Amino acid sequence: MNTSTIIFYAIAALILGAAILAVTTLKIFRSAIWLLFSLVGIAALYFWMQVEFIAAIQIVVYVGGIVVLIIFSIFLTQQSGKEMDKPAKGKMIFSALAALFGTAFTINLISHYGFNNISAAPFNPSVDEIGMQMLSTTSHGFILPFEVVSMLLLAAMVGCIVIAMKPTEATIVHLNKKED
Amino acid sequence: MFSLEGITTNVQDWLLMKFNPTMALAIECVIVILLSISLFALLGLVLVLMERKVAAHIQIRLGPNRVGPGGMFQTVADTLKLIMKEGLVPDKADKFLFNLAPFVVMMVGMLLLAPIAFAKNFQIWDISIGVLYISSVSSLSVIGILMAGWASNNKYSLIGAMRSGAQIVSYELSAGFAVLTIVVLTGSLQISEIVNAQQNGWWIFKGHIPAVIAFVLYIIAVTAETNRAPFDLAEAESELTAGFHTEYSGMRFALFFLAEYINIFIVCAIGATLFFGGWMPLHIGNWEAFNHLMDYIPSSVWFMGKTFFLIFLIMWFRWTFPRLRVDQLLNLEWKYLLPISLFNLLLVAVIAILGWHF
Amino acid sequence: MFLKEYITDVVTGVISLLKGMRKTGYYFTHPKEIITEQYPDNRATLLMSDRFKGEVVMPHDANNEHTCTGCTACELACPNGTIKVVTKFETSPEGKKKKAIDALVYRLELCTMCNLCIVACPSDAIKMAPNFEHSVFDRTKLTKVLNQPGSKIRKGIE
Repeated sequence: MNTSTIIFYAIAALILGAAILAVTTLKIFRSAIWLLFSLVGIAALYFWMQVEFIAAIQIVVYVGGIVVLIIFSIFLTQQSGKEMDKPAKGKMIFSALAALFGTAFTINLISHYGFNNISAAPFNPSVDEIGMQMLSTTSHGFILPFEVVSMLLLAAMVGCIVIAMKPTEATIVHLNKKED
Repeated sequence: MFSLEGITTNVQDWLLMKFNPTMALAIECVIVILLSISLFALLGLVLVLMERKVAAHIQIRLGPNRVGPGGMFQTVADTLKLIMKEGLVPDKADKFLFNLAPFVVMMVGMLLLAPIAFAKNFQIWDISIGVLYISSVSSLSVIGILMAGWASNNKYSLIGAMRSGAQIVSYELSAGFAVLTIVVLTGSLQISEIVNAQQNGWWIFKGHIPAVIAFVLYIIAVTAETNRAPFDLAEAESELTAGFHTEYSGMRFALFFLAEYINIFIVCAIGATLFFGGWMPLHIGNWEAFNHLMDYIPSSVWFMGKTFFLIFLIMWFRWTFPRLRVDQLLNLEWKYLLPISLFNLLLVAVIAILGWHF
Repeated sequence: MFLKEYITDVVTGVISLLKGMRKTGYYFTHPKEIITEQYPDNRATLLMSDRFKGEVVMPHDANNEHTCTGCTACELACPNGTIKVVTKFETSPEGKKKKAIDALVYRLELCTMCNLCIVACPSDAIKMAPNFEHSVFDRTKLTKVLNQPGSKIRKGIE
């Protein structure tokens, strides 16, 4: 076992340990923090694989974006500091079964197909290559999904603005009339 | 001539001669860790003293002048006091997260130190995505602040943490756009390539007015990101006592305090690298004699000089401008900085494509 | 139209910020503007303003004479009982009895330097002095008798 493997197992242990703590802790804010550690661990795994771009994006999107949003929504809920009740027995059995089946399914898949050993040259795309591929219109380009995703995000942003908009006087009068 | 490059290669050669490669790497790691910790401690001492002196002179005062010649050892005395103070933990605080938060903030500072080029060929990790790495890791620092604010179980801390979160998340955008303008001009994310592209002139001169605008936007955005006045709503002393670190005392408080100054140093170092050429001496076009003369000043001196100039600029802001209100803060970002930086990025893209920069 | 307003907004904002920075930059680069008094070091040359109110004193002239008639106007004017006038009756050579002060007791630890006693005094017998170094180890030392021992009222003051 060389140093690289040891590092891999250390990172994997961090990810799994943080993930287990995230679902078992009874404090909702701590749960978010454990989730954060788990996601940072995944970014570390990407760094270990030397795909730095993906690692940085992992941190920007999941840690800097999504976990911060989750924490904000926790702050805005009431009684976020209190310990939650222990989940009911039935629920626990149900979720344990779901997890068990998921694991069984994954193990089944792996035992059937195994891990392919790729002996090709180290996979190391530069950032410009990723950018070119993202916006290329040739057969392996990602321009269509890219644009579709941006439409989705645009729709989400417009939705946010509509929700946050202060109703003008005219609309209030209009709504009141409807109610009558 | 004195150069840090020679020292690093000598150390590496010597280590490789004495030990096997893995061992040598481990020893190098330890050296780097020790160096960065001592850099942090030194920077904390120097920057706090500098802040107090600059503040005093701007406010027509003298500042600390009792401990040591000209008050030089004032911050050393302060640090000793903070080390000896009792670190209290509030009774109903979330003890684990309360103790963890200052270390998270410090760790982010340490991670950010990795891609900074302190001198010619003197860099911890010349990662290929340099600038993206910096902007992604710096988004982690908000987590430490949110953690501290929540774990303290204090209304002021929670409000401070929420303000800080909203502020950092929104100002990250225009800081990112300002960084992107330089990335567009250079065509690379790697720090060493960005510095090398400024061989014949710094981007702030070569990039015409859009580069200057980007620099102004960058300075404003990072002042907000490091929670400094005029954007210090998160720790506004007069409204929130001290915001997210109200409940912290002793060494844990010192870590937050240190992290603030480390963050300032890092953002200024990145600003100096992007806009003022990092360790690159002042070169003007084809003036051979002048360029050669400038090369005699060591690159580390150039880097530190530029960084400290930017730090001084940020301190100057702090002691000149009054604090913004929350709505003014968000208006400034979303109605002014963001549209201007988007437009500026477009302008820079046109300049870069048409090759109008020098 | 909107764009013009927006741009003038930004430009005027930037100009006003630069004005502020110019002022503070001027102070930073001109150390001679510094107004800090380095107090214990410059004690010999320290200049106190005439209007500074540090304590109440009673001026005496060369003949050890003051102008206090013992009218107790200051005692009545004092809002917190700082001044206590102890009077006595002196017999003049003509055999007439005359009111005079025995002691004007002034308790510095109670005084708020409000200046009301000085305003109330009809004969300008007391005034404010600029001394501010009042700290002592024993607070009884703060209770002072303002008239010097053996002092008399100046002739012609009624």
